[in-house]
Amino acid sequence: MTEKTIQAHAERPDPEHERDRQCMSRRQFLLAGGAMVTLAAVGLPGELMAAPLHALRASYPKVKIGSLSALKKGAPVNFNYPYPNVRNVLVKLGVRAGGGSGPERDIVAFNQQCPHMGGPLDGTYKDAHQALGPCPLHLTTFDLTRYGMVISGQATASLPQIVLEVQGDDIYAVGVQGLVYGYAAMTAKRA
Amino acid sequence: MSKSERFIPADRIPLPPRDAEVLTTACDYCTIACGYKVYRWPVGREGGMAASQNALKTDFPHPNMMTAWISPTQHNIVTHRGKPHHVVIVPDKDTKVVNVGGDHSIRGGTLGQKCYNPDTPTRERLLHPMIRVNGKLTRVSWDLATEAMADISKYVLTQHGEHSWAVKMYSYQYFENTYAITKLAMTSIGTPSVAPHDKCAATNDATGMDDAGIDSFSSCYEDWRLADVGFLSGVDPYETKTTLFTQWMMPGDAKLIFVTPHKTVGVAWAEANNRGMWLPINVGTDTVLHLALARIIIENGWQDQEFIDRWIAKPWEVDSGYGRGTRNTGWQWRTTWGAWQSDWEDYRKFIVAQEESKLEVAAQITGIPAEKIRLAAEWLAKPVNGQRPKASFMCEKGNYWSNNYMNTASFAALGLICGSGNRPGRMISRGGGHQRGWMGAGGGSGWLSPEKYPGRRKKDFNLDRWLMVGEIKFAWVFGTTWVAAMMASDALGARMRELTNGSPHQITSLDRAAIFQTLKRRVDSGGMVMVDSDIYPCEPVGTEFADFVLPAATWGEDDLTRCNSERRLRLYSRFYDPPGEARPDWWAVMKFADKMGFTVDGSYSWKTSNDVFEEAARFGRGGVLNYEPLVQMAKSRGLKGHELLRSLGTTGIQTPIRVKEGKLVGTQRLHDPANDWGEMEGSEVHGHFLHSFNTFTGKAILLKTPWKFPGWIQFFDAVKPRTEKDELWVTNGRVNETWQSAFDDRRKPYLHQRWPDNFILIHPNDAKKRGIESGDWVEIVNDTVYVQTGQPQGVLDADLNFNNLLKEGHIKTTAGKFRAVAIVSDEMKEGITQSNFNTPKSMANAVVSAVPDPVTNNYRYKLGRGTLTKVGESEYKTDLSRMSLKPRHIV
Repeated sequence: MTEKTIQAHAERPDPEHERDRQCMSRRQFLLAGGAMVTLAAVGLPGELMAAPLHALRASYPKVKIGSLSALKKGAPVNFNYPYPNVRNVLVKLGVRAGGGSGPERDIVAFNQQCPHMGGPLDGTYKDAHQALGPCPLHLTTFDLTRYGMVISGQATASLPQIVLEVQGDDIYAVGVQGLVYGYAAMTAKRA
Repeated sequence: MSKSERFIPADRIPLPPRDAEVLTTACDYCTIACGYKVYRWPVGREGGMAASQNALKTDFPHPNMMTAWISPTQHNIVTHRGKPHHVVIVPDKDTKVVNVGGDHSIRGGTLGQKCYNPDTPTRERLLHPMIRVNGKLTRVSWDLATEAMADISKYVLTQHGEHSWAVKMYSYQYFENTYAITKLAMTSIGTPSVAPHDKCAATNDATGMDDAGIDSFSSCYEDWRLADVGFLSGVDPYETKTTLFTQWMMPGDAKLIFVTPHKTVGVAWAEANNRGMWLPINVGTDTVLHLALARIIIENGWQDQEFIDRWIAKPWEVDSGYGRGTRNTGWQWRTTWGAWQSDWEDYRKFIVAQEESKLEVAAQITGIPAEKIRLAAEWLAKPVNGQRPKASFMCEKGNYWSNNYMNTASFAALGLICGSGNRPGRMISRGGGHQRGWMGAGGGSGWLSPEKYPGRRKKDFNLDRWLMVGEIKFAWVFGTTWVAAMMASDALGARMRELTNGSPHQITSLDRAAIFQTLKRRVDSGGMVMVDSDIYPCEPVGTEFADFVLPAATWGEDDLTRCNSERRLRLYSRFYDPPGEARPDWWAVMKFADKMGFTVDGSYSWKTSNDVFEEAARFGRGGVLNYEPLVQMAKSRGLKGHELLRSLGTTGIQTPIRVKEGKLVGTQRLHDPANDWGEMEGSEVHGHFLHSFNTFTGKAILLKTPWKFPGWIQFFDAVKPRTEKDELWVTNGRVNETWQSAFDDRRKPYLHQRWPDNFILIHPNDAKKRGIESGDWVEIVNDTVYVQTGQPQGVLDADLNFNNLLKEGHIKTTAGKFRAVAIVSDEMKEGITQSNFNTPKSMANAVVSAVPDPVTNNYRYKLGRGTLTKVGESEYKTDLSRMSLKPRHIV
């Protein structure tokens, strides 16, 4: 596996593990599936290059999640944002994308929980089609060049898109478009 | 596009408070009908994030997949008893049937966006009855609309006869409505001019299965989990019957054989996971595949001989019919004497004698590699360690909408020799399209049809042909896109326009007498009056042709009932007020019936939809949708039928309902000998189809299907793509994300951005030759679209075959074209393109001929052809906010 997870927040472990014992969590599913979770850290501010499709309703912290020089086309990088247990993927698609950042407007980031029933999309990036999926639960695929739109499948929302800013070489996450599975409001952080 | 039409992802949803009301319903869309819960509470407050503070009893946010969550598209604000209310419409996570655990499709998952809310595109709902005055639809009262309709109807019936008074209607939109409409049309008016939404005639669907004695909806969803192998003919249930696939097929290790020219998601998934096989078939050639599979099975002795000896009709049993010999068997009514009927020995001889059943010949005709056909036969029937595989067979429109009679008859025979048809995990059935919502009012009027098979045997009435020859004077359309849904759509639409707003006699005032005089002149000069009952302006019947447009109330706006494709009956609860003056169609029928004077004997005195439900019950008593015992049970307890059904929630009960030891008992599957309980209880009407096949003897009938049957092969040869014109097959189908004509989806911003326009899927080699890329606008033209315009009656055997119709001048040659956005992908087989089957502004059926199967009066819907020409670049090449152009088979 070539992916790595960049932990943007170094916080205590998820206190919801108690509940996880009764109901399989996405994290457990991932671990059971053999996905790897690693930690790393980067950070430097720069110029603004975000092109969000829609106005944001909530404000989020600006967090550095990667750099242009380190990001390779077709090699996704995992990061968590805006909360420690919200898993996302940063990817340079190689083609212009809706909401894309960077000089070629081809850098995008999306949440990796399927907004159908919360299935894990981690590790499912398909570079040939710039798509995420299929979700292992019900096979939904998402078009990362078109704001995370469903290509085929059952999700009743597009994949939540992480709004990016590029300043110099640095890539920042600055917001979330959409509602992450399991949330009723993006402003209500998990305990 | 206004701001509200644009999809704007929300980042919060209101949670239902603990005291929110909860009502049950089922999905309005596909045949599977997942169970849903509606949470309703007044605007002004919301539930809290803690489990103790919301009706889902769940802490938010939570990390648990496949549990309670509300997507933003599942919330809306509606009016209930005149006051604004929140509604959240979510799959029932507590259900143990259908969508176990709260699974759902993208269609049902967005039901919340269907509800009328003037702040959303649903503001386009029809709100008031309207009459077209000087070309403009003008608001009128229900009284004036129905009085004016009755005035001209009475004149038409007196002057032109009941045949000229027509109904084109949905077959599925709830028992209460279909019962009321058929009571009006067939009983009170007594016209044979009635056709359902999907056919030109009130004829059979999977006709060959019916004649074999197999009910199209005999199986239950569990059969797909119990089967070792599934043969899926002309269907990928993932695309069209989502939770049947994701809940009942994906789990386990059953192998799946997909017969379709389109490698859809389910096909690609099954292949990638060693669970399936794709048989990429040439359009219309399924019969040959079935013959070849049967031959391999028979030559290897893999047939289920024990089952055949017990359950396949012997020669004498084939000939027996209600004391009248063969005359009353289905295929004899439809065809010539002796052409199809068979028994095991005769069928076996027939199979091995066919040139087309030879593996190499079949591979050439079907375009499927011989080794794949052989392997499919092994999967279906070759015993492993002395055990026969349990095989179930499903067909849908790729099968029965390309060669209606022969594909279904040969499909049924293939299943039967594998020992399937009446046992758990071994069933033969349709997958289903719409839910089962037809409750005919009994009696019927088909005997008045002027159409006859050779030998003057009764034949169903072809409403499209009747319209083309100008015999319809008054047509009432209920909730269907008549033009786009039927074949040769351009020619049909042009004729409809000529008969309605092409007439010089147009309504110019709202004076009742003046309206009558105008419409009288219209019908007497060869024109036609149209009424369109719908929830939205329907193109083009409602928007251009209809003189009367009536606003219908729909799902969620009245208590309604119907069954799904495993015959599961449930109450679809009313949970909000219909918009404006919209009323359910049963009410509109009642209003019109009153103006016609049909209520003088006390008929049509319904107060609520429950009154219709209870009245309709007795007309379904002998059939597979029998729910009368439930109504009787309710009455004995002093309850309304609807209320007893409501108490069964999303579980409902499978029809036919029976009574055992005083309790209501549903029927899981039909034809199963385990259903034989001996004595009946209560008001049950015994039907032997419950525990044996649906033939006189209870034994299934093997039918022969010679590929060169002239009623088929002449037409097939005439409509194939012509190489000299560089044509391709232009077939049509569905995509998962769109329900039917997208009447709701185009008003759901989330779904509309996915499919804002019609598509055409093209293989890369076919695209390259024509200089077409994904995102290009493509014009598809067929300059030879055949339309049958006459000859309803056959005398000699060959009279209704294509070549004879052509020779005798009963085939009109028209042209058809449509425009769609290209998606270039190798998910399509080379030489075959596919477009959405029913997009009113881009009618793929325009390039399909309107010449029905002479055996069944059913169109060959899938056999379109045309040239493909790039005519420009669509906005979707550059607008990245709409219409993904990615292939569908990414796994």
